[in-house]
Amino acid sequence: MQSYFKNKWLPYILLIPTFIVLIVFLFYPAFETFRLSLYKVHPFGIRKIFAGFYNFKKLFTSADYLHSFSVSFIFSVAVVVVGLFVALMIALLLNQKLKGQLIYRSFLIWPYALSPAIAGAIFRFLFNPANGYLGYFSSLIVGFEPPWLTNSTLALVVITAAATWKNLGYNIIFYLAGLQNVQKEALEAASIDGAGPVKRFSIVTFPLLSPITFFLLIMNLIYSYFASFGLIDVLTEGGPANGTNILIYQLYRDFFINSKTGYAAAESFILFTLVVLLTLIQFKTTGKKVHYQ
Amino acid sequence: MKAKLLMVVLLFLLPGFLFAVGTQEKVEITGPVTIEFWHAMGGARIELIQGIVDSFMKENPDITVNVQFTGSYNDTLNKTKAAGKAGNAPHIFHLYDIGTLGMAYSGMITPIEDLTKWEKIDWDAFFSPVKNYYTIDGKHYSMPFNSSTPLLYYNKTFFGQAGLDPAKPPATFADVIAVSKKLKGSGLGLKAPITWNLHSWYFEQFHCLMDAPLVNNNNGRKGEFPTEVLFNREPGQKIVEWWTGMEKDGLFLDVGPGWANHRAAFGSGEVAMVMSSTSDVNQLTGLLAEKGWEMGTGFIPKPAGAKGGVAIGGGTLWITNGHPDEELLAALKLVKYISEDDAQMKWHKGTGYFAVRKTAMKKLEAGGWFRENPNFMTAFDQLLESPYSVNTSGALVGVFPELRSLVQTAIQKVYAGDMTVKEALDEAAAKTNVSIKEWNELNQ
Repeated sequence: MQSYFKNKWLPYILLIPTFIVLIVFLFYPAFETFRLSLYKVHPFGIRKIFAGFYNFKKLFTSADYLHSFSVSFIFSVAVVVVGLFVALMIALLLNQKLKGQLIYRSFLIWPYALSPAIAGAIFRFLFNPANGYLGYFSSLIVGFEPPWLTNSTLALVVITAAATWKNLGYNIIFYLAGLQNVQKEALEAASIDGAGPVKRFSIVTFPLLSPITFFLLIMNLIYSYFASFGLIDVLTEGGPANGTNILIYQLYRDFFINSKTGYAAAESFILFTLVVLLTLIQFKTTGKKVHYQ
Repeated sequence: MKAKLLMVVLLFLLPGFLFAVGTQEKVEITGPVTIEFWHAMGGARIELIQGIVDSFMKENPDITVNVQFTGSYNDTLNKTKAAGKAGNAPHIFHLYDIGTLGMAYSGMITPIEDLTKWEKIDWDAFFSPVKNYYTIDGKHYSMPFNSSTPLLYYNKTFFGQAGLDPAKPPATFADVIAVSKKLKGSGLGLKAPITWNLHSWYFEQFHCLMDAPLVNNNNGRKGEFPTEVLFNREPGQKIVEWWTGMEKDGLFLDVGPGWANHRAAFGSGEVAMVMSSTSDVNQLTGLLAEKGWEMGTGFIPKPAGAKGGVAIGGGTLWITNGHPDEELLAALKLVKYISEDDAQMKWHKGTGYFAVRKTAMKKLEAGGWFRENPNFMTAFDQLLESPYSVNTSGALVGVFPELRSLVQTAIQKVYAGDMTVKEALDEAAAKTNVSIKEWNELNQ
């Protein structure tokens, strides 16, 4: 590679724009966030009192914040597992030679193009407690309307369904691309050796999909921790009784509603560390099992 | 980095600005002036406000106003904050009632009263509850614009069908339960007889009706910051017992937070009564008329014998600081114009918000408006019958938005059966008190 560059400084110079972008939009804000997390900050930023780890201490002794941790954990596991499983199943179906498969594909990928707020609004039409469609039909059919959004367990189920549905298109695209790269020869060889469809999938297709599964695992994890805020804001506002108050929503509340900048900075730092840690753990464990062709 | 430095420098200059404002005794607009106005009223109200501003510009050809709808009150506040840090805050922005104390200590506003030496404002023309809410230590901070209180709306047609008197809405907590039971047993096919959205506003208003303080130190109204909340005492418990008790008995439909679901439930006939803002008179009348039902309005219910009244809610217009005097004067002229009779009458008719001035109400009355639209009158009557006290003026708390979300969570915990009313309110109170302490420390 080095032979492409006569001047040994040139590569560094060419990297500078990227680094500037990273420093301005990533490293500097991250550092500032950490600095702010050590202060008690006036709601309008006109005063700061150094407080050491006060914000962190308060957060980790707050039952609400710890509850938010467990809700986030359940939510992210559900979104990742359900999301990847359903996406893989649909991708397998779509990978067959079907009439009009282009139409199916477009429709299935569509939800990804929606903004979280719009997806939330759609789910609100379905589930809202006043006159949601689902409630109406369920009371017609079984004479009973589950309190979808006003019971904290059910609300978490609805939010998980919405978040999974919203990200389905993304997962399907990647799985579909992966499936189309699986060599026919390998599958044929397995057939000749007497492997049925289930066996073919589990010993040939799935291992060949492992790099994509691993990539999607991490992307979905990040999605569930960071990107589902809009859905929650539209559907439940973190309720009922904090039942859907995941970490990112608590962060939103503390910064944009409660104007507690110090706490919000600390929470942001915690969330950042958490996701970095989870990703590292995955690289160390699951990552080793990934088979790259 | 530069922007950061600039911000730091600006922060140091801020106190300077505070003193610089209004140093001139006399200011006149000599040339073209442009000001920014951000508000939080969506939907059809965007056009309504633009119309009012357009007629202002016609009368003041030197002043150009750029009006922008910037989302909810909370969004508007956050956008204004961010713009302020970047050094280009809008001259006028629109904010909810509960932001009053926070804004007064934000370091980014000019109290209206500091500007009134340039152009007088006739405060006596305003309804006193409206004026009082936005006055701290006798000083006017922001200009009342859209004022509202909660109101009880009920479906007269359903009342008739259930054998109730359609001219008589329930007035007390006990009445509401009695009427609700009758409606529930009437075979109307309601989901529940009554609902309102999960919002701490109603909880606060019931305190006002019972003439009970929400926080200590004279409800935060006498120059001292509150140091603890009082909403977990007997009045608060009584309110939540009644509220969640009705939910348990299937008399109340839990529709969750937000401002859409309870209106929809009322409009589609899932419930027969709803509490909502007076600013919904137009919308709800329309929704029921579509189905051929008749709507009635009543005062919000109170415990029998309660002696208080409603407090004003809604929003006001704030003028920011750090602008040249001429622009500040232009901003003052605009907020004054919006609070005057013509604009307020137009606003009231288009929405259901109060006209904030007594004079505007008299003109509406003289024009026969209330005879034709009696439901608009209920809101005024309810407000005018409210006696003055620090409790009925509404609390002043720096951490009000957080207080609200904690109260709402407490109510949901009672719904879910996780806690008793007292436990839930005590927990919310303890958490609010910690935040109040932190806020006070930063604003000392």
